[in-house]
Amino acid sequence: MLKLVLKGGRIIDPAQKIDKVGDVLIEDGVIAKVGGDIDAAGAEVFDARGLVVAPGFIDMHAHLREPGQEAKEDFASGTRAAAAGGFTTVCTMPNTRPAVDDAVLVNGLIRRAELERLVNVKIIGAVTKGQEGKELAEVGDMLQAGAVALSDDGRHVANAKILRTGFEYAGMFGGLIISHAEEASLVEDGFMHEGAVSAMLGLKGRPAVAEDIAVGRDVMLAEYTGGRLHVAHVSTAGAVELIRRAKARGVKVTAEATPHHLTLTDEAVIGYDPATKVNPPLRSQEHVDALVAGLKDGTVDCIATDHAPHAFEEKDVEFRYAPSGFTGLETAVGVVLTGLYHSGKLTLPEVIEKLAAAPARVLGLEAGSLKAGAAADVTVLDPAAEWTVDSAKFYTRGKCTPFEGKRLKGRAVATIVGGRFVMKDGEVCG
Amino acid sequence: MTKSQVSLRGRDILELQGMSVPEMELILDTAREMKNVIDRDIKKVPTLRGKSVVNLFFEPSTRTRTSFELAGKYLGADVVNITTSASSVVKGESLRDTLLTVEAMGVDVIVMRHEAEGSSHYAAKVVKPVIVNAGDGQHEHPTQGLLDMFSIKEKKGSIAGLKVAIIGDILHSRVARSNIWALLKLGAEVRVAGPRTLLPRDMDRMGVQVYDRVEPALEGADVVNILRIQKERQQKGLFPTAREYARLFGINRARLDLAKPDALVLHPGPMNRGLEIAPDVAYSDQSVIQEQVKNGLAIRMAILFLVLMGGTNVETSA
Ligand SMILES: [Zn+2]
Repeated sequence: MLKLVLKGGRIIDPAQKIDKVGDVLIEDGVIAKVGGDIDAAGAEVFDARGLVVAPGFIDMHAHLREPGQEAKEDFASGTRAAAAGGFTTVCTMPNTRPAVDDAVLVNGLIRRAELERLVNVKIIGAVTKGQEGKELAEVGDMLQAGAVALSDDGRHVANAKILRTGFEYAGMFGGLIISHAEEASLVEDGFMHEGAVSAMLGLKGRPAVAEDIAVGRDVMLAEYTGGRLHVAHVSTAGAVELIRRAKARGVKVTAEATPHHLTLTDEAVIGYDPATKVNPPLRSQEHVDALVAGLKDGTVDCIATDHAPHAFEEKDVEFRYAPSGFTGLETAVGVVLTGLYHSGKLTLPEVIEKLAAAPARVLGLEAGSLKAGAAADVTVLDPAAEWTVDSAKFYTRGKCTPFEGKRLKGRAVATIVGGRFVMKDGEVCG
Repeated sequence: MTKSQVSLRGRDILELQGMSVPEMELILDTAREMKNVIDRDIKKVPTLRGKSVVNLFFEPSTRTRTSFELAGKYLGADVVNITTSASSVVKGESLRDTLLTVEAMGVDVIVMRHEAEGSSHYAAKVVKPVIVNAGDGQHEHPTQGLLDMFSIKEKKGSIAGLKVAIIGDILHSRVARSNIWALLKLGAEVRVAGPRTLLPRDMDRMGVQVYDRVEPALEGADVVNILRIQKERQQKGLFPTAREYARLFGINRARLDLAKPDALVLHPGPMNRGLEIAPDVAYSDQSVIQEQVKNGLAIRMAILFLVLMGGTNVETSA
């Protein structure tokens, strides 16, 4: 019997409301015992004193770029990045080439993930064929094949009738629709948040109201159809407020925010670094404050990275020609601990809830907790470790990040998937 | 920082937002001496002999390119023009590669005009030659801003305390942004006015007064800076018709009379007469539009001189 004991760490498992110092016993890839002083005879021992032992982190929004854009990332590089960043499960978005819009592709990717993965990979299918927003994809078939959710991420489902049909049809299978909420007619040619900074830089703006309008409509359709809506990468104060009110009415809506929208403002764009170009754009301080407040009060359920790697030469261009998005898996935990925990905005149990328990709950995954009998997916944190972001050391193929060179406090020091170390002391194993 | 300590040698000229008042004053003072060179019979001086300047223009602009070209030539530099209208992305060659190619030819200064905001910042990071921004998208056009400051200073003596109205398409105007920063730094009161669809949101945060009617902006103004209206904006639906624009926002004699009687009229050119500016305003005694062209040349000579030769002892005699 393979035994591993994580010794003397601060065990934080929000799903079980555990926050205490003690040992964790893992046997044959499964959590056997949590807490107390566990006899480690015959077991591998990991000294977790001074560290935090948490359920494995789940990123419900990443772009692993398979199939079709393996030059940017693939399952092998993407899951190594996930392991390095402290994630034990990563969900990959379907805006690939081709888009993942049928069960054959879903099945194929699940099989690819079994072969290539270092961490668990979950597949998200498209809502519409080719993500073109015109015809419903075979969402029932994809969900039965194992897709964990549906999304046309990268684009908003602009046609209200199609989204209505999607909620009704996917609803038969309990399917969750993840919306990239943005009213397209208001954002065309926009390169950054519309506001004082865009006025100064002369860059065309993407107004916050474009997201508010889209979230408002999507929430209304979810309410009307009884469908389940998850709003991806919420970035505006207006969207937070719409989601808050919808939740209060009992609408089945959940939401995520990214580490960058929670910690950076549009002022990061001054200097025109393409690494700061992302969709939705970095917004002004009032929006950031509203997002953090929404995260704190539960309006925003979880933190997701929107990890979006691009090849160097694609980002090494004039700001307006650079594709949106950047790498996030390897900076997320450090950014969140620095910007939300060390700043006093969130407690450690709250951070862990947002990174583990909440995404599991939103997706209906058997994960995100250290319950006895659960698969031993564990993230070990050193909240005090200080480090400098250096993209040259990243495992992802996408070296572009707005956090390059930033000093962060806190990081994952070990990642365990199914009872096996996939990362230890910052080094990916296997 | 006093003026004598200021040197622009080797400094990229990317934007006026980041330029200090002593730096601006040094350029304006130097331009005054350069203007004397332009007025001579024989304009050529050997000051920049052996130096090379490339005008790298990704957007056509006869005016600005010619102005930089003559500025370099009057000072004795070798000037080469590279004009390419397609964007680097369309051409398939990256901006980095184009810049590296130019740099490899041993160029001292790259004067760059490009449709993308921040492209000159990018260039400054990628290559060693001094970068002079000749207009980057809707961001800034620093030499235009400085020539406007020069024109105002020449007629008004000083800029501090003046009321300056900038009228027209502020949203898409790099000239407006450069002028706003320069005017604010030099102590002017700045008002911007135009249809609300052509005013950037939250622009008041830059420290200017924003009006969606021209009349209150013109009231008692010392300087009226009229911007060129691109007719494509109408096709994009940002204002209904040219006729309506001219009627509601065009500067005619009656509107100009709201400004001070000796108010200066500026326009970066080329003008759409009858649209943003009425002919009797364009050719009135108050207009310094033709003078601006000569001042632009003087400013560009000053900048090329200063970034190549440093900040002290302006030596322009042959
Ligand atoms: Zn998205």
